Amino acid sequence: MDVVKRKKELVKEFSPLLEKSTKTSKIWVGFLIAIILVGLVAFVIQFRKGHIVTGMRDNVVWGIYIINFIFFVCLSYSGAFISGILHFFKTPWKNSVSRIVEVITVLSLIVGPIFILLCIGRLDRLYFLFLYPRIQSPITWDIIAIMTDLIGCFIYLYLTFIPDFAILRDNSEGQPKWRQKVYKWLAINYHDTETQREKLHKITRTMSAMIIALAIIAYSVLAWIFSLTVQPGWNSSIFAPYFIIAGLYSGISVIIIAMYLIRKFYHLDHYIRKVHFIGAGVILLVISLLYGYFTFSEYFSRWFSHKDADMKLLDTLFNKYFWEFIFANYIGILVPIVILFFKKFRTIKSITFAAVVAILGLYMNRYLIVVPTLETPYLPIQDTRPEYIHYTATWIEWSLSFAGIAAFILFFILIMRLVPIIPMSGIIDHEREEKKKKPRII
Amino acid sequence: MKTRLFKYILVITALGLFINPNCFAQKSVLKNYRVRFGLSTTKQADNSRLLEVSFIAANKKDRKDRVPVYDADINFYNVTIEEDFLLGTAKTDKDGTAKLTVPADYKYVTDDEGYINLKAEFEGSKDLKSNDDQIAIKDIFLELNLEEVDSVKTVILNAYSLDSLQTKVPIDETEIIFSVRGMISNMPIKQDYMSDGTFEFEFPENISGDINGNVDVFASILDNDEYGNVIQKKNVNWGVNKTIIKETNQLWSDVAPIWMYVVLSILLIGVWANYGYTIKNLFSIKKEGKELETKQED
Repeated sequence: MDVVKRKKELVKEFSPLLEKSTKTSKIWVGFLIAIILVGLVAFVIQFRKGHIVTGMRDNVVWGIYIINFIFFVCLSYSGAFISGILHFFKTPWKNSVSRIVEVITVLSLIVGPIFILLCIGRLDRLYFLFLYPRIQSPITWDIIAIMTDLIGCFIYLYLTFIPDFAILRDNSEGQPKWRQKVYKWLAINYHDTETQREKLHKITRTMSAMIIALAIIAYSVLAWIFSLTVQPGWNSSIFAPYFIIAGLYSGISVIIIAMYLIRKFYHLDHYIRKVHFIGAGVILLVISLLYGYFTFSEYFSRWFSHKDADMKLLDTLFNKYFWEFIFANYIGILVPIVILFFKKFRTIKSITFAAVVAILGLYMNRYLIVVPTLETPYLPIQDTRPEYIHYTATWIEWSLSFAGIAAFILFFILIMRLVPIIPMSGIIDHEREEKKKKPRII
Repeated sequence: MKTRLFKYILVITALGLFINPNCFAQKSVLKNYRVRFGLSTTKQADNSRLLEVSFIAANKKDRKDRVPVYDADINFYNVTIEEDFLLGTAKTDKDGTAKLTVPADYKYVTDDEGYINLKAEFEGSKDLKSNDDQIAIKDIFLELNLEEVDSVKTVILNAYSLDSLQTKVPIDETEIIFSVRGMISNMPIKQDYMSDGTFEFEFPENISGDINGNVDVFASILDNDEYGNVIQKKNVNWGVNKTIIKETNQLWSDVAPIWMYVVLSILLIGVWANYGYTIKNLFSIKKEGKELETKQED
């Protein structure tokens, strides 16, 4: 196999993805920027006026910001977990999804923590967390975990990008100067020699194992922020594994949606095939069964224990939040299971639909974990205004939430303009492996 | 909602009655309420006597709806056959309670059987009828002794009344409750019947005292038909000082447990060492690439 020629072919094949800028894509990018700008306006208002412009009050001190934080951070951890598994076990179809997963991991880990900053009433005192950290506080553990994980994910993502940067550097004739310089700088003199390749594979493999372990630890720490309190609905011993399963549920769903969109808009049918959707769909089925089991265990044990505070919480969930509860814990779990369980339903569109339902259900589940619990605390609330007990998100909170989602999509598009979403080096490695496997005719 | 509205109207009416006698009461509202007027008495540890009146309007239909009558003048009397001696006057507070403490040295006039007859009276206003209540109680004395008998902390109570010749007559078959002062209410430690005017028992060993180990011990006769409420109290240094164990695994403790530092350090060192190793390898890859480029240029 002529590697140099093959690299050239691949660059030629993927370069339209890097250069193409259609009218639709420009409108789409403009739309995303507009949403982000609205979010920035909302942020300025919140920064100037304080949390009074949000729906958060004395009793319900957490709202959709913390839900977005959990959602994005869980997405990131699950991305890291899945990516680690794909690389560590050298999964055959990893080339089609690995880069999507890696980009999701890093972007959600950048966007997620921004929401926790929006939750803080006194942002000007943020540095106190670093000046006076309390090792016995789960919040401190989470800060350490997120920062360590963020750096780890960046390094890991970079490692997987290096061979592609080198290919793009070597085949960047006719590209703008700045692009050539960026590729040269990022490729760190990588020339795909035997020793360089070996070294890179070795550290990528070690990092992938590290990322799996780190994701599990960071997941658990995030769950402990809730479960180590005595709040009804949070104080649960299965919260850490429940969060891991829920995170994987959201992670796989987002990957399926991203695969669908990239396949549709970048015409990558050749690389992202139905078999990949079916594979991801079967994994989603297994995870949805586990997630359903954990959800049932969680609520069943609370209902059976008949503790006053838990009963009050369940009463709120089954009355005030009845439809939300049905959507989150019945529709959000059972619909994906039904679609993915039967072979004849496993089409690309139906699998993507199942993933969308799963994502929406999971987001609602997160809402039901945070808000109703804060609305039914242990100590009875007396003589206070109704808006201090009941939470409704304001337009400021929604604007910032949508700005977060828009930023996530925009960064995704920008990264796809820098490197191909299908790793070229992965394709070459795969072809190299296949060639080695072929029996020689003597 | 309707009941609450009535309640407010009644409170305003009752207030108006006492603050401004020219106000018009809403008799139709008052009809729904039954006025409860009750007198009780407590002989206190210093032998003074507390007279207490509860003056409350209770809804006939809704037992939970109770409206205290505020700022009503209540007269307290020592009643005799010939004459009622005024002991004093007190106003009801926001809970509808009027209290009067009669000093220990007051000489009550008793009837032929030795009962003190006490009366509380509300003279009435333009719209609220007059009310009174009367009780008859015998004056008794409680002597509480806290002694160590053969190194055993013993609570000894003697209870007696005085006859006309000032001779002590022991109290018999009367329920007595012993308690110690707690933070919110008194904690009972013994409840039994007295015989022959005396009762004794061993003080429990595990009762917490204040910072110096002092504890207030109470002997009480409560809601007795013949004696009313009688309370005696003494302070003694028999309390146990609870040792506060300093727990280490708390969010608010000064430092985290050592194991937490160890686990966190191992995890962080392990992860960051791996990052360092990865970056070192990246530099090595870069160096090798540089050498290769130089060779090719040469």
